[in-house]
Amino acid sequence: MLSGCCWNKETINTDECRFLHPGDDELLFNRKKRFLSRCLECPGFLEDLRQMNGNFDGLPGLFSYAIEDLLAQRAEICTLTSQAQARNREIRFLHEVGQVLQTSVAMDEVISMALTSITSGKGFGLNRAILLLVDKERQNLKGHVAVGPRSREEAGQIWHEIEELDYSLKDMSQIFFEKKMPSEKEKFSDLLEILSVPMSHNKHLFITTLNEQKTRHIKNLYQEPGIDPWQAENLGGGELLMVPLISRNRRIGLLLADNIINGRPITIEDVQSIETFALPVSFAIERTSLYERLQEELSKVTAANTQLREQQELILRMEKMALVGKIASNIAHTIRNPLTIIGGFARNLMKSTPQEDAKHTYIESIIRETRRLEEVLEEVLSYSESLHPTFDWWDINQLITGVFAGLRDDLKLNHVNCRFDLEPNLPKGKLDYKKISYCLRSLTTNAIEAMPAGGQIEIHSALCNDEIQITLTDTGPGMTAETIQSVTTPFFSTKDSGSGLGLSLCARILEEHGANLDITSEEGKGTTFTIRLKISREDEHDQTTDC
Amino acid sequence: MTRLLIVDDERDIRYLYAAELEDEGFEVESAGNGADAAELLKHHHFDLVILDIQMKGESGLQLLQKIVKERTDLPVILCTAFSCYKEDFSSWLADGYIVKSSDLTELKKEVARVLKKKHL
Repeated sequence: MLSGCCWNKETINTDECRFLHPGDDELLFNRKKRFLSRCLECPGFLEDLRQMNGNFDGLPGLFSYAIEDLLAQRAEICTLTSQAQARNREIRFLHEVGQVLQTSVAMDEVISMALTSITSGKGFGLNRAILLLVDKERQNLKGHVAVGPRSREEAGQIWHEIEELDYSLKDMSQIFFEKKMPSEKEKFSDLLEILSVPMSHNKHLFITTLNEQKTRHIKNLYQEPGIDPWQAENLGGGELLMVPLISRNRRIGLLLADNIINGRPITIEDVQSIETFALPVSFAIERTSLYERLQEELSKVTAANTQLREQQELILRMEKMALVGKIASNIAHTIRNPLTIIGGFARNLMKSTPQEDAKHTYIESIIRETRRLEEVLEEVLSYSESLHPTFDWWDINQLITGVFAGLRDDLKLNHVNCRFDLEPNLPKGKLDYKKISYCLRSLTTNAIEAMPAGGQIEIHSALCNDEIQITLTDTGPGMTAETIQSVTTPFFSTKDSGSGLGLSLCARILEEHGANLDITSEEGKGTTFTIRLKISREDEHDQTTDC
Repeated sequence: MTRLLIVDDERDIRYLYAAELEDEGFEVESAGNGADAAELLKHHHFDLVILDIQMKGESGLQLLQKIVKERTDLPVILCTAFSCYKEDFSSWLADGYIVKSSDLTELKKEVARVLKKKHL
């Protein structure tokens, strides 16, 4: 007995088939079309077919195979279509996003594009994306930024806004980069902090994923080993997608994505798409990070260049001044000596010439006129002296690098390596540039000579309270306590050659500057010289002069 | 009596300084170059040397180095026609420093100051 289903009727009414969909009017009069699109999935037809199988001689039995296969093929086509759509979406995506990823040199712009793509409905449409990056020192995997709503209410508001304004993906990313990045970082700051993990923590889920370089699709984070329960709880604990960001085998970071708000399961297509997408993102992030480092290096080089140019100008100026000084010195000698003799003897004569003697007035004139000439000479010479501003506010680090630049050949020749540890932004010190440079040069030359087989010199500058400390440590043989006591007396020298003036002069110069020279030494290990300059700050000085 | 040695290659300067400093009650001897000065220093006692920096032959600064090396107790006042010598580091070893002038008050003050410091 057949079910009475409509499959064998040429035309039917709407109420005769419960599988008809709205808009299926054509199927009411088209049996072939109705059969192919609806009857094959209708249980009534399948039941009729099964019953008929007993009545007919074998052939209807083959129908059921054909139908089975047809349905399987349909299902496959459906899957393929959905995959093709996903790929299409990816290509569209990569095309739109690729331009930004490939051309941008700003890391945050790249990150904005990536996270917007993952969370926007026009992209992969996940609810939330969190980016963790390996820090510069490669010590920690740090929460960098997260995108997404923190609550259902916020989600509704954001989605409504996006729908209303109908932004393109690129626009959305640009808006995020320009306006929302700081607020989003702030909004998620606690979560980003909680999710940060040291790179050495090898057993942590994040670090394992990063090290294995494999995407993980976690269904229940609470049941996952290797993650801190507190971290799992803060992430919401449910389904989570973790995609490692790798560029040329270098670990860049980790991308976390989930559907925390609507709970939609993450599909295999989502996983594949985001995995594919992660590749250009990793490259772009690494490129921008390299670019940033390059910029930093470039600005250092530029600063060094400027400094070099300034120093060259200074040297040039000093050379010119030295010439002026030479000329002035010659004039001084040619004129000063005769003036001293004329005026000096006049004064001497004056003492033995009584007031009433007529010659007294003449001698007075000689004294007065020589005095006038001396004054003119003084004026000219003091002008040429004022062109030598050696006692001034100087940058200590600049002074140190200047001295070592001058000693470069000596250091190289004697196989002495230098390691600098100069505290940036030291206040300037008021000092005699030539004299303090001389001190530093003397100390360094001493250190070089103490290490005939080569070695290392460490130079350190730092601000301690109101003192600028310059420390110079060598790896020479060191000195005994007795030697330390006597090195600063004139003409003491442990060397066969040399005047032995160096260190005693240093001590004298530093004394003039109200500075101290400390020497500590360990035999067989090396010697440390510490110059402690008590220097009032430039701003304080300016304030007092302004008052 | 306090004995001073004046070293200057300009004869009239030596005469002038000698006349003025003798008036102040010092016993003065003088030398016209570094070698003569070194010879005198070797054989006679002096309490102070007044030394011209720029001299023909051995300069005052070279002689200063010798004096400081051999006679650390002997104070030296450097005289110069041009104060830029203050910047030459070897001049920083001297105990006193004056710029030549027809008015010898400064020289006399410096002599008194250095001798006083020596006797302290």
